[in-house]
Amino acid sequence: MMAATETDRALVDRVAKGDRAAVRLLFMRHHARVYRFVARQTGSEMMADDIANEVFLELWRQAPGFEGRSEVSTWLLGIARFKALSMLRKRKEDWIDDEAAAAVPDSADTPEIVTMKEDKGAALRRFVDALPEEHRSVIDLAYYHGQSVTEIGEVLGIPVATVKTRMFYARKKLGEALKAAGYDRGWP
Amino acid sequence: MSAAEKMSRRDEMETLLPFYLNGSLEGSDLEAVEQWLASDPAALAALGEAEAEFSGTSAANEAIRPPADALSRFARALEAEAGPARKNESSSWLAQAWGRFMAVPVGVAWAAAAVLLALVMVQSLVQPGGKGKDFEIAGTQDDLAKMPFALVKFKPGATMSDISGFLGDNGLKIVGGPTADGVFRLGIPADTAGDYTKLLGLIAAQPFAESVIEGRKPADGG
Repeated sequence: MMAATETDRALVDRVAKGDRAAVRLLFMRHHARVYRFVARQTGSEMMADDIANEVFLELWRQAPGFEGRSEVSTWLLGIARFKALSMLRKRKEDWIDDEAAAAVPDSADTPEIVTMKEDKGAALRRFVDALPEEHRSVIDLAYYHGQSVTEIGEVLGIPVATVKTRMFYARKKLGEALKAAGYDRGWP
Repeated sequence: MSAAEKMSRRDEMETLLPFYLNGSLEGSDLEAVEQWLASDPAALAALGEAEAEFSGTSAANEAIRPPADALSRFARALEAEAGPARKNESSSWLAQAWGRFMAVPVGVAWAAAAVLLALVMVQSLVQPGGKGKDFEIAGTQDDLAKMPFALVKFKPGATMSDISGFLGDNGLKIVGGPTADGVFRLGIPADTAGDYTKLLGLIAAQPFAESVIEGRKPADGG
């Protein structure tokens, strides 16, 4: 995996020299994950599309200043996070709320009945989706993006201890939700 | 005392398990989790629960599908930002070809891939040392000769965006093919046989992979 990391950095060096083929390669390598990260952050695939594009344009602009103190993937996710928060602050149009509302399942079933109809894996996926954003972010970054405690701190701009605290409460909430749905896992 | 410091040992281990699973844990934290897993009967069950969370979170993320035309739109935005590519940029013809390649139906795209690959390989043969900047499908002759590889056949319904995204995410490269049967040779960026086997398992688990056959493994032979 180290070789892939070095290749990322080598590509950023090429981007810094104005090599647009290198930025396209980085786009192909990282776009899907950046897109999914923003979509999960904002709840809007439309915003994810815009922001993910902007992230790679920002990579083009900022590559000469990249010092390699973090992994390229961590750097990109940090840019994505910043842009997502900025856009969420700027945009107050109703469509954001409409889209979020549309994402909520419209079901006559109670949560208990919904849970009975699905297996544990599906229930778990739903509970992860239902976590508050600050908790879901650390779960996504650790499990899906493979980030370390320190890297998550860099992406989210929070101390390492806070990353751990959020992870603790995120997993605790998942355990409690599973227990309430009849899947006791012994902790918390 | 902070909230983190007040955690019980079990709480602390449960907090670290996701990082143990993603391979980022090191030092005293890694040692503590490994000791816990070896000594506490409840720990293995806890690890299983964390693995289920891992799978559920991955599935939730993978269910989000980026638009298939994202690369071509980004290429246009980049051109608007940076200006048109220089005509003497050695790879510009490949960039244009790639844009067209991503936009056509899969069946046609595979045929085009074979033609493009042949062109890239011809270019590397007639221009030794020439820099092919645009493509992840081939390296230098030396790279091709040394790189571990596997033979992969994709399902007929596989989409270019899914495959290219997966290849890019995992540093995989198409280094040959397709044959008349639609078999591609994929370069596997593995330094050890263990890494090679893991990557093959990952490829085989993809919904667009029809079959995966072992080729050359890394030199350690594992």
